[in-house]
Amino acid sequence: MLELDDLRVHIGGHEIVHIEHLSLEPGSRLGLVGESGSGKTMTAKAVAGLLPDEARVSGSVRFNGRELLAMNDRQMSEVRGRKIGFVFQDPARSLNPMMRVGRQVSEAIRVHSELPRAAVARKVVALLEQVQLPDPPTLMRRYPHQLSGGQQQRVMIAAAIAADPEFLIADEPTTALDVTVQEEILRLLISLSEQRGMGVLFVSHDLGVIRFVCDRVAVIYGGAVVETGRTEDVIAAPRHRYTAALLAANPGMPRDDNFRAFIGQRLHTIPGSVPPVGTFPSGCRFRNRCVAASEACTAMPGVLDAGDGHRYSCWNPVEGL
Amino acid sequence: MALVEVENMWFHYPRARLGAGVEGWTLQDISVQVQAQSTLGIVGESGSGKSTLIRVMCGLLRHQRGVVRFDGRDIAGLSGRDAVDRRQRNQMVFQNPRRSLDPRMTIRRSLSEPVRALLDRSPDDTEMTGWLERVGLGPDVLPRFPHQLSGGQLQRIGIARSLSVNPTILYADEPVSALDVSVQAQVLNLLMDLREQLGLTLVMVSHDLGVVSRMCAEIVVMRHGAVIESGPTEVVLGAPATDYTRALLHAARAASLEREGAEG
Repeated sequence: MLELDDLRVHIGGHEIVHIEHLSLEPGSRLGLVGESGSGKTMTAKAVAGLLPDEARVSGSVRFNGRELLAMNDRQMSEVRGRKIGFVFQDPARSLNPMMRVGRQVSEAIRVHSELPRAAVARKVVALLEQVQLPDPPTLMRRYPHQLSGGQQQRVMIAAAIAADPEFLIADEPTTALDVTVQEEILRLLISLSEQRGMGVLFVSHDLGVIRFVCDRVAVIYGGAVVETGRTEDVIAAPRHRYTAALLAANPGMPRDDNFRAFIGQRLHTIPGSVPPVGTFPSGCRFRNRCVAASEACTAMPGVLDAGDGHRYSCWNPVEGL
Repeated sequence: MALVEVENMWFHYPRARLGAGVEGWTLQDISVQVQAQSTLGIVGESGSGKSTLIRVMCGLLRHQRGVVRFDGRDIAGLSGRDAVDRRQRNQMVFQNPRRSLDPRMTIRRSLSEPVRALLDRSPDDTEMTGWLERVGLGPDVLPRFPHQLSGGQLQRIGIARSLSVNPTILYADEPVSALDVSVQAQVLNLLMDLREQLGLTLVMVSHDLGVVSRMCAEIVVMRHGAVIESGPTEVVLGAPATDYTRALLHAARAASLEREGAEG
């Protein structure tokens, strides 16, 4: 349904994204994971056609066989909303504070359809019910500040699915939320995806969240996919050193509730930090932070196959178990 | 004697509508003890009162009922030199360093502020370089402004700033929730190391049970402004007594990786 090939994004003379190939099947959920500055959000924005004006994009982004990069602004805005919905990190900033909740959702419907007023109103109520908000007729008259963070994010999701998109891009949709609310919102996204057969491109820095939501994962570093595969495979047996480092840095929860063994345990850290745009090393972009870097890593590694679509690009991979 | 003793403490924000019962009170009848050099985690959902509680404990907010004692003395009765002394020994690290550092001030100025305000002297670059070294930064950040630094660097500066006045106890309010997983790990390890080196007492608020259970040997669970469970972390989280704590744990497990303690 969604296919990226040789997608490159240049900003200010620097190549910040270069995705050789990435695809998403209808109804499936793909996670993009990496640190801030790894290029995961830029990749999602390139798919959505939401990059800043100074960005130059080349390659191919095909959505149901149609080339999105060849579309003009009007065609693209038609695709956005009607075919592709969006949910962003901070609902409080994405919603219009001056507009009642019901109107924000109804505008999302009206932009893309000619439904009569009464039908739009019915659809707003139905959408608010679908995202499991209590008492929609009352709630739709509220302003965003009168809602909790979790309720605001549900309104964002209702607006995002208002035009029945086939595909949803969610960029860190739960990082600003409590752990219980996070779980509810993630479950909601999963059930909407399953009920509607809606594909999801899910961006996060947290592999724990990705594991919960996504069937497949692509680990991004230096604007490129360094490892991809079924989420369970990649987490159980990471091959790329960057994936292994991201996993080791994740605080997680203790296995078998063994909290006693957990207290005071330091986390593995990834040496250094993501370099500023344009200063990534040649060859493997991760090599200046990698514990296993060798002479070989000055050349760009090829793509290796670990089976079942599990692929990685690393000269000194973590050995299989 | 505990370092901090909170006894039947009640707190409300100004102009709260107080009813006959608990309505209007942000904190209700809180009793908490913090032993010297221990680690205490405070967990609960947004609005449960956990950030308000550490602000009262740290002396940034004044409670209305009950007693808060620091080092055996009622903090409400302190004045003059004693009050300044208590402020110096109780320091706070905030959630969002980008918002808690003044964007118009150089790092040099922000960093020197607590010492100027509390110890009434101006630290020189050599001294500040020492503070920065402790948190893994170089003196090159001194002339910079907050917008020129990363979130992880800013949080390190927040920590260096709090430690500049040699506190006894450090309160950390969601110190890593605004940071990436990899930067989180660096800052958490730094806090663990500094705590050990300096013999600090650490009170940490976090909604992340995985983080709290690594950092803190004791835990307090808050809900609707009250403490509903407290005790050693392995007991409270390993065998929770309330449905609420069980629900928090369930949600945390769902979207977390399982990790062996020993790997960490």
